[in-house]
Amino acid sequence: MATTPRSGGVGGAGTATRPNGTSQNKSCQFKLVLLGESAVGKSSLVLRFVKGQFHEYQESTIGAAFLTQTICIEDTVVKFEIWDTAGQERYHSLAPMYYRGAQAAIVVYDIQNQDSFQRAKTWVKELHKQASPNIVIALAGNKADLSNIRVVEFDEAKQYAEENGLLFMETSAKTGMNVNDIFLAIAKKLPKNDGANNQGTSIRPNGNETNRPTNNCCK
Amino acid sequence: MATAARPPSLRLGQQDLKCRTGCGFYGTPQNDGLCSMCFREKFNDKQRKLRQKAGETAGLAPGHAPGFTDRRSPQHGHHGQGRGEQQPRKQEAAETSGTLQKKKFTTVLQKTLQAGAQKITQQRSHVPDPTEGQFLLQLRQLRIPDDGKRKLKLEIQRLDSEIRKYINGNSAKNVDELSDAVQNAYTKVSDIVHNDPSFEIATNEDRDSAIDFFEKVVMTQNHKFLFSPYFTEDEDSDVKVQKRIRQLSWITAKHLDCSIDEVNAEARDLVYNAISELVGIDSYYSPQEKLQCTVRCCRHIFELLKRATGGPASADDFLPALIFVVLKANPVRLHSNINFVTRFTNASRVMSGEGGYYFTNLCSAIAFIENLNGESLGISSEEFGALMSGQQPYSTPWESALLACESLHLISENMKRMEGLQKRNALISSGIASFEKELIEFQREVTERVDTVIAKAPLNLLPIKTPAFLIGQARAHLLSDNEAGHYQANVLSGGGGSLTTQSLTAATSLAKPSVAPEDSGLSLKDTSIGSMGRLSPLQQNLQPADHLFASPMFNYAAFDAVSLLEDPVTTEGNDGDVMMLGSEFQGGLTNINYDFDLSDQSGENSTADESKLNLDEFDPLVQKSSPIAQKPPALPETPTLLDSTTDSLIDSEVPGTAVLLPSPLKPEVANYRGFSNFDIPSISCNTGDFSSLGHEGVEEPK
Repeated sequence: MATTPRSGGVGGAGTATRPNGTSQNKSCQFKLVLLGESAVGKSSLVLRFVKGQFHEYQESTIGAAFLTQTICIEDTVVKFEIWDTAGQERYHSLAPMYYRGAQAAIVVYDIQNQDSFQRAKTWVKELHKQASPNIVIALAGNKADLSNIRVVEFDEAKQYAEENGLLFMETSAKTGMNVNDIFLAIAKKLPKNDGANNQGTSIRPNGNETNRPTNNCCK
Repeated sequence: MATAARPPSLRLGQQDLKCRTGCGFYGTPQNDGLCSMCFREKFNDKQRKLRQKAGETAGLAPGHAPGFTDRRSPQHGHHGQGRGEQQPRKQEAAETSGTLQKKKFTTVLQKTLQAGAQKITQQRSHVPDPTEGQFLLQLRQLRIPDDGKRKLKLEIQRLDSEIRKYINGNSAKNVDELSDAVQNAYTKVSDIVHNDPSFEIATNEDRDSAIDFFEKVVMTQNHKFLFSPYFTEDEDSDVKVQKRIRQLSWITAKHLDCSIDEVNAEARDLVYNAISELVGIDSYYSPQEKLQCTVRCCRHIFELLKRATGGPASADDFLPALIFVVLKANPVRLHSNINFVTRFTNASRVMSGEGGYYFTNLCSAIAFIENLNGESLGISSEEFGALMSGQQPYSTPWESALLACESLHLISENMKRMEGLQKRNALISSGIASFEKELIEFQREVTERVDTVIAKAPLNLLPIKTPAFLIGQARAHLLSDNEAGHYQANVLSGGGGSLTTQSLTAATSLAKPSVAPEDSGLSLKDTSIGSMGRLSPLQQNLQPADHLFASPMFNYAAFDAVSLLEDPVTTEGNDGDVMMLGSEFQGGLTNINYDFDLSDQSGENSTADESKLNLDEFDPLVQKSSPIAQKPPALPETPTLLDSTTDSLIDSEVPGTAVLLPSPLKPEVANYRGFSNFDIPSISCNTGDFSSLGHEGVEEPK
C-alpha cells in the first residue's frame, strides 16, 4: 500500500523486514523515524522523497504515515522504512514506542516557527537519552522555500546540530530542495554491516547464502 | 454491530470438523478427529510409534484441556467480571462461566472433540491438533528440500514440547522466560533456514516462508498456552482497559483532534469496517494473522482519512483516528492480544515493516487511552473527572449519529410508506380523471349520436308538406272552382266537392314529378345554399329547433313559410312553370314583408292570385279556431281522402319521396329530440306545443 512501485511490500514479506539484510552489505534495511511538531511538513517531506511529489498525490497513496523507499549508495542497496509519528503535543509521550529500534531519525522543524524548533530540540534530547545509542539523527529545517520570512536562523540551527552531532539541512518539500540529499546523507552515515540494530536475535554469520533479490534500485 | 460483521465461525471452521488428514471426509472425536478410514490406517501404522513416545508425552496431557478452555472462555465471558480476580483459572470455572452462553453449539462440539482427543491422548500419546493435519499439508507444499522440511518439523516439535513442558512444569512461571525461549527458537530456526546446507537451494522467499510457517504452526498450536497465560495479568489488564474505554465513551473526535466526521454516513461505514477488523484481531490464532488484521484495520482508517482530508494522511491524522476507532470498538482482550503478539512473534515483525508500524500505533493508542487525562483531551481536569464519573451528562456525535441513524431509518421507512400511499393516491386520482373523461366522452358520444339522429329528424317536418299537397290540390281544385275565400271552405269544397279520385290521382301524378325535383332540391340544399339563398328547405331545417325552444308564435311563422313553400308546387302543379319562379316565391315569402312584393311580381301570373290566396289563407289560419269549430262535419270525409292519397303515394312513389310519408312519426321524433337536449322541462311544453301544433298542422289541411 504505502510502498513505491520500486520497493516491495514490507509487512507481508515475513522476515524480509529483518533489519540487517544480507551479510554481503549489498542490501540494508533501515527504520527511520520522523519526529517533529504537527504541520511542520513531516509527511510532505517523506512524500517528496518517496514519490517525488508535492500536493499531487497518486491514487495509490493511501497514507503517508508508513512509506518505504529504496536508494542506492555505491554498491549497497539501502531500503528506508519511514515511520511517521504524530506531532501533537498530547502524543509526545508515545514517541519512544516508535523510535525504539530505529536506526535513523529525522527531526523536522519549520523555519518559520520558533516553537517547532524548540520542540525539535526536545526530540533530539529524548532521542539521545532513549533511542539506541548509534542512532543517526538528522535535523531538517523545512519550508526553506519561505526563507524570506524565516524565524529560525540557519546559523543558529547549524550550530545546534554541530553541538549535538546531528546531520543538518534546510529542506523544502515544496521545491524538493535538499530532500533527497538529507536521506542520502543519512544513508551514508548509517553502518552498512551488521551494526544495524538486531533486537536480540543472534547475528548471522556470513554464509553461503545468495543475496536476497533486490528491488530495482537507484531512484 | 461491529462484531456482527465478522463471523464468529473463525473459531470453529469446517476444518475443525473434517478429518485431520485433510482427506475431505468428516472426522469424529472417537477416531481422534479422523474419518474412519484414516483412523484405521493410522492406528495400525502409528500404534507402535505412539506407544514408544507415550511415556515422554503423557505428562503433557493434563495441561491440554485447561489450556484449551482457557483460550476460549475469555472470548465468551465478554466482560470478564467473573475472571477479574487473581485466582488461577481452572478448567471447571471456565467451563461453567461463559462458555455456554454464546456459540453453544460450536463450543460444545469442539469440547467434545477435544475431550475425545484428550481421552485418547491419555490412553496412548500426544495426538496432533485438528489443525495439524492442515499444517502437515502446508509443510508438504513448502518449496524447500525435504531435508529442510524434516528439520523444520523437528524444530517445530522441539519448540512445541518445550512450551508444553514449561507450561506444565511446576516451577514458578514467568512469561518473559517463555517469550525468550520462543524468540531464541525463532533465531535458531532462522539460523537453520539461512545457513543449513539442506536449505542451500532454497530461495530467500522460500526461506522466509519457512520461517513464517514455523512461527505460525507453533503459535497456532500453542495459542491456548501462550495467549493470555494464567500466570500473567493480561486478563486483568483486559478488563481494566475495557472498563476504561467504557468510561471514555463520551470522547468525541473533536477531543482527539481527529478529522473523522462522525455524522457522515460514508465515514461511519469506513469506521465500522475498521472497527470490525480491530475486533477481529482476537479471532486469529497466530501473531502474523493478528498483525495482518491490524494492517487491514489501519488501511480502512487511512481510506477514511484520505476521503476526509483529500490527500494521504500523515501520522498527525492517523493516530487520533486510530485512538478514536479503538475507543469506539472497545475490542475484547486487547492487552492479551497485544502481549501475545509482542511476546511471541518474531521480534523483527513488530519492530519493522508495515505490520510493525501499525502495531506500534495500536500499542501507542492503547497507551494513550490508558494514560489520558483532561489535558491530553483539551479539557479541564474537573470536567474530565465529571465526565469520567458520569456526573456530567454528555452526548457524543457518534452515539447521537447512531440514534439519528435509527430515526433516519424510521423516517425513510415512513417516507417509503408515504410514497406508496401517494402512488396509490395518484393512481386513484388518475383513475378518477380517466373515468371522468370517459363519462364526458360517453356523454359526448350520446349527444353526438343523438345529434346524428336529430340530423335525420328535421326531414320529418314534411307533415306540414303533406297537407301542402293536399292544400295544393285542394287549392288547385279551388282554383279550378274559382272559389276564393276561406281555406276551410276550400277543403270542404275539395272534400265535399266530391272530387273524383281520378282527378286527385292525376293531380298527384302531376305533382310527383314536380315534387321529386323539389326533393332533390332539398337534398341538394347544402351545396346549393349559395345559389338558392334563403331557400325554404333551410328554414325547414331550422324550424324544428325553433319549434323546440321558441314560442308557438314561431311555429306559426314557420307554418307560414311552409305554407308559402307550397306555392311553387301548386304553381308547378298548375302551370308547370319554371322552378325559379317558385323558388323566388319561396325566398320572397320567407319574409313576411315580401308578401306585397310577391304579389306585385306575381301580378302578371295567376300565381299572384294564388299568393294572395295563400296570404289570405294564413290570415284566416290565425283565426282558425272558428273555422275548426265548423270543421267537424267535414272531418270524417277528409281522413279517407288523405289516406287514399297517401296510400297511393306510398305505393307509387320512389323511395326518395318516402321522406314525405313518415308524417305520423313526427311527434315521436320531436319527443326524442327533446330528450337529447336534456331540456327536460321544455320537453313537455314543447312536445305538448309541438304535438298540438302537429295536430293542428295535420288538422289544418282538413
